[in-house]
Amino acid sequence: MKKMFAALAALALGATVLTAPAQAQDKKYTIALIPGLTTDGFYITMRKGAQAAADALGVNLVFQGASDFNPVTQVPVLDAVIAKKPDAILIAPTDKVQLVEPLRKANDAGIPVITVDTFIGTGVYQTGAGDADFPLAYIASDNVLGGEIAARALATAIGDKGKVYVSNVKPGVSTTDQREEGFKKEMANHPGITVLETQFNDDDANKAASQLQAVFARNPDLVGVFGANLFSALGAANGVKQAGQTGTVKVVAFDAPTSIVDNINTGLVDVAIAQHPAEIGYYGVVSAYAHLTGHSIPVTIGTGFTIMNKSNIADPNISKYLYSE
Amino acid sequence: MTSTSPVQPAENHVAPQADHGDPARSLISRIAEGRAWLFLAGLIVCFEIWSRLAFGATFVLNPFNLQSIAIFAVAPLLLATGQTFVIISGGIDLSLGFIMGLAAVVAAHATNMAGAAIPLPLAMLAGILASVIVAGVPGVINGLLISRLKVPPFIGTLGMFGVARGAAFLLAGGTTVPVQNSWFALLGNGKFYGVPYLVIITAVFVIIMHYLLSQTRFGQHNYAIGANVQAARRSGIDIRGHILRLYVLSAMCAGLGGALYAARFTAGAAQAGEPLLLDSVAAVVIGGASLFGGSGTIFGTVAGALVIAVIQYGLVFVNVEPFWQFIAVGVVIIISVLIDQAQRRFSGARQDE
Repeated sequence: MKKMFAALAALALGATVLTAPAQAQDKKYTIALIPGLTTDGFYITMRKGAQAAADALGVNLVFQGASDFNPVTQVPVLDAVIAKKPDAILIAPTDKVQLVEPLRKANDAGIPVITVDTFIGTGVYQTGAGDADFPLAYIASDNVLGGEIAARALATAIGDKGKVYVSNVKPGVSTTDQREEGFKKEMANHPGITVLETQFNDDDANKAASQLQAVFARNPDLVGVFGANLFSALGAANGVKQAGQTGTVKVVAFDAPTSIVDNINTGLVDVAIAQHPAEIGYYGVVSAYAHLTGHSIPVTIGTGFTIMNKSNIADPNISKYLYSE
Repeated sequence: MTSTSPVQPAENHVAPQADHGDPARSLISRIAEGRAWLFLAGLIVCFEIWSRLAFGATFVLNPFNLQSIAIFAVAPLLLATGQTFVIISGGIDLSLGFIMGLAAVVAAHATNMAGAAIPLPLAMLAGILASVIVAGVPGVINGLLISRLKVPPFIGTLGMFGVARGAAFLLAGGTTVPVQNSWFALLGNGKFYGVPYLVIITAVFVIIMHYLLSQTRFGQHNYAIGANVQAARRSGIDIRGHILRLYVLSAMCAGLGGALYAARFTAGAAQAGEPLLLDSVAAVVIGGASLFGGSGTIFGTVAGALVIAVIQYGLVFVNVEPFWQFIAVGVVIIISVLIDQAQRRFSGARQDE
């Protein structure tokens, strides 16, 4: 309900901004978007959404980032962006804690900060509590909810009973941690399902595959696996294939690059949970613009999910949520 | 691989491994040389006992486990095979991980493109060939940088690490490239009497590489250069030419690794080999090669790669907290190097320099 309200608020906000272009003629704003990493379909799609909003609003969008998801490489990019004094910064912080001080520099320099996809501190901003509440807004998929959706999809696929586990990247990443949390929370409502210990694969598909085979060897009654990100899911799916269990062990994947279509059609992956990164980018720019033109903006905007499977993947209303290249 | 011409025994040039010419080898040096296999045996026994005590299930007698471990070891082993040659020569190749990623992306694109024009099996071969050849390009540049321009291998290949990474992501458009070729997918996931094709291909390739290293002039030159580059030069070995061929060879090993990755996951991913680079160095070192050059064997590296695979697979199998995997591999590397040092001390050879 809260989510829906936030989304409605965001929509209404988008509408007011779009219908009030008068102030836009005064100044052409520059908004910087710093992704978690540049080489990822998710952020590339987010950029497209942001660009669409920027074009509609007459804003100049700058897209700069590092090639891996790491504070050590992201902070220099952030510093360089701050040095050029954009009117606002949209950023997907690569660490909840390590990005707090670097972002405070931007805030101190009078540049409003909005975090997208990931957050700093607790992700609850403008409360006066803690030292990381200064960003204006957090715009992202609700990853806990995404994990719950994944759990329900998997529970349905396996007939609500059997053993499953989470194939995850590494601990400490806010989004994937939340997906696992949501998954386990929902699975607690399914007494017939046992969730085995989580396996961490360092984003290495080879390792994720081997882990699936090891877990399966120990638990021949394994019926499902939730891949908390793309490589976790593809690796686990390959492990299922190598074990000759395609169809028996169901695979739910998080994220939906275009290659997921093949994976779903060939039965490698049973269900994919797509986030809406374009929506995140779009509302990021719209929110920043609203703030710059003197409007208030919601502190949290939760964007949606789309569940993809063999029966709906051909539908253009579903496949439009695939991440573009 | 084909860039060198194996010299037949007629030349009377063939000798066992250069660094171990001493006929009266002590027991300790024998143990030290075979330590990777001893480790492997020890590990398997440990996991077998653990598994039987904790779950009443067998670990090593379960063919599914063996198959899974073998498949797991394929990619790191292919990188480690090239790395073995480089490390024996006294160098190191840090670019292998991303050359593998580049090759995986090229294999995916080339297979798809060729598949539109020619029958699928031929398209598959074209894709593999293209990826191995393209992988050779950064190898040539590495080789030229190191042999002609005297760039230290660590730095030269570190630069190429970045170049290959960027090129791979550019080619892939920042995402993974799906492969549409049923033959290619079969190659990556099919089995021949229960043995995955990937394992068969890798085994054949590794045996060829073993022959190249232990039985040919190229291999002997490699040991000679690694043991003492000045002596090798004065004895008339073409060091420049050798180094160039060496880095092309290691890049092509990574290229094959990338092609097989694309076959297995039916997708080319630029970051495919990134996590494998350090595993490849670890496999070579556990396998008994010295980072100072001059010693090491391909079969040692095979054992090294299997040790890593068995630890990582086994700890999941017996359901241990995942972070112990890192500690376990780290401990094995340290023990392995300690044995190497001890052996050098006992056998009176140089310890370090």
